[in-house]
Amino acid sequence: MESPQNSVARTPSNSAIVQRRSKSKSYRQSYRSCLGAASRLGLTPGLTARRLNSSRRALKSQVITEKVNPEHLAILVKAEWQLSYVTPLYQFRHTQLKSYSRQLSAFIAAEKQQGLAVEVEGSQSSFRVSFSVVQGMAETDDDAETVLIQIFSKPMFAKQDEPQRSVWSGWLTCINGNPDYLHSLPKGFTCLPLFGSSGAEVLTSLVKSWFQQTFDCCFGCLEINQTSLQWLAALWTNCHTESSLKHLKMIWTIPVVPPLQVTYTVDPQDAWELWMSVRMDQLDKSEEEEEEQARNIDIEEVTRFMQGLKSHFYRHFRLDLSAGNLQQVSTALGSAKFSGKIKISSSRYIITTLALLTECALLKMPI
Amino acid sequence: MDDAARRLLQRLVRRIPAQTLKTTLDKWGRLKAAQRQSMDFTQSKWALTEKLLAICEENELTLKHIAELEMIHVIENPDRSMWYALQLMDPEDDAHSVELTQFKEQFKSHLSELVRHVSIKIKKHTDEAVWIRIAWGDSFSRPNHLKPTYVVHHLQTPYVFVTGLTSKLKLLLTQALVLSTRHQAIKDASLSGRKLTAIRDLLMRQYQQVFPTKYPSPLAESNQNATNPLIDKEQAELSANRHQMACEAFGSGMLPQLQSAVYKLETKFRDHMNKTMTEREEPLKCVVKFASTSLLESLRHCASSGIASTPVTPLLSSIPLKGRNYFVITDNGPGPSSQTRQPQN
Repeated sequence: MESPQNSVARTPSNSAIVQRRSKSKSYRQSYRSCLGAASRLGLTPGLTARRLNSSRRALKSQVITEKVNPEHLAILVKAEWQLSYVTPLYQFRHTQLKSYSRQLSAFIAAEKQQGLAVEVEGSQSSFRVSFSVVQGMAETDDDAETVLIQIFSKPMFAKQDEPQRSVWSGWLTCINGNPDYLHSLPKGFTCLPLFGSSGAEVLTSLVKSWFQQTFDCCFGCLEINQTSLQWLAALWTNCHTESSLKHLKMIWTIPVVPPLQVTYTVDPQDAWELWMSVRMDQLDKSEEEEEEQARNIDIEEVTRFMQGLKSHFYRHFRLDLSAGNLQQVSTALGSAKFSGKIKISSSRYIITTLALLTECALLKMPI
Repeated sequence: MDDAARRLLQRLVRRIPAQTLKTTLDKWGRLKAAQRQSMDFTQSKWALTEKLLAICEENELTLKHIAELEMIHVIENPDRSMWYALQLMDPEDDAHSVELTQFKEQFKSHLSELVRHVSIKIKKHTDEAVWIRIAWGDSFSRPNHLKPTYVVHHLQTPYVFVTGLTSKLKLLLTQALVLSTRHQAIKDASLSGRKLTAIRDLLMRQYQQVFPTKYPSPLAESNQNATNPLIDKEQAELSANRHQMACEAFGSGMLPQLQSAVYKLETKFRDHMNKTMTEREEPLKCVVKFASTSLLESLRHCASSGIASTPVTPLLSSIPLKGRNYFVITDNGPGPSSQTRQPQN
């Protein structure tokens, strides 16, 4: 939320503050308030649209190295990202990135001056911020282009001629965003609902507060819930023939005293065969839709896959994993944690994984 | 004092927490009273190291003495590394009569025969355990005191606990152990943990066990927090039953603090909902690891709360029953490396 002082810094006249503050209330748009506008009155289709998709396309292997700048791609697949959702940005312009870079640098410098920011590594020297567009990530025309933010700084005891190092990076993206929602946004809003950050917590919160003040948006933490983790487990397993999983590792915590952690690591080939057996049964049932089915993965298949794994576990240990919480799923293609941390290790599946997470972010936005 | 002794002392002072440094040095007993008093333990570790180095020079202490100090520290703080259990097998007739002096001599002479450069230190701890510190060298190099192996053996028991042992040296150590304890063989006990006392207690069954009984004793404490007497009455019997079975499987009261258990499963996938996989010939390969700050207590709670069905599966109850925390499970019963048969349910 913006504080009056910060508004003054931007808009000198007092009357403007009042206006601006009232505007901010009415402009905050959310996915659910748009799709579910009528749903508050009763059962409407709006309600069902609020759920996570129950069917989605399999992870497409995409050679996006040709579309996307390999340097940018390298940054995206390198780190583990802490995810947040962001409400639509007001008056955000992809053409203004240079100016944003300057503004955010100045903002960080100012906060540092005030002593609000806790000392971070390399805080002795100044920070340089760079905004850039990651071209070629968007899937549809409605998706706004992905924005990459990097903060560079010199190490504290660096030599004079030593180059600045990247100390923080983050991005805002929207991939395959729900077109109905995107179209319903009033003019002047840009929807980049998924925010990933990697680096010092202090810098993350500074970047967030600058965005909040500049584009009148809010951030919130985005957990990757059980269903999404299961989706990722299935989607990754589905890719095994194209690029090896190495392993399918799932971690559950069981709520007992002291807490019990169960790590269940399945051989990739066996996981894939189990997955295919679940898929095949489904394919037999609807032969006329075969074409369609071959491409789409249904939530039922995901559930049955996980159920199969859990029942195999139960048969041995007579311990019901459903009593616990799935905390983490990881394969060689990536890892995802309930706390909202994701690492996508293969650029081939980055688009489809981010599409799933975009959907999660849109759902998580407050009404 | 040579270089190796200096390095070992420097590392040791770094490792021993400042609060316990004084008591450890007192136990060591190599410092004269005046020297002890001259030490200012509020000083930095660096300053203390310098001071100690000077004192050691003055007292003409050698590497042997510094190793002794390390041993005192490790015996007092054994829970800083991973301990592995070994089990001696097939005792000779005179195995039970092996006593400390004989074991000491035998072990030293056998190991020195096998390795040319080796430094062995044996110390009997108050709880009847024999502690052995081995610094290994090879035919060309002197023993490396920075990477010692520690061995703990309770005489007249088949159990040996080791830490800091590489697989290359394992063969040499086990051979010396087998010979000096008058046994014929030794095997991996498939038990490991960071708490030496826990794995020792588990193997030697030094914890409160509960035995199956036809007439379950009334569980006084389980009924104390009754809020709704009717529901409680209905539930009490079931829950008491679960609790009893949980305690039978894992023991009651404080249990040895084991951190993890690992199962390597290579068993067939069986599920009437999934014909394709059930008909598949090959087993499903997976590894399951249970981890907790106190695994046995967590598992007991799983069983008593109903998260794990009772009676507890033999797979889980094998941890305390067999004193192991690493299992290889296959369908075909005991194979070369699998000691636990999978329950056919």
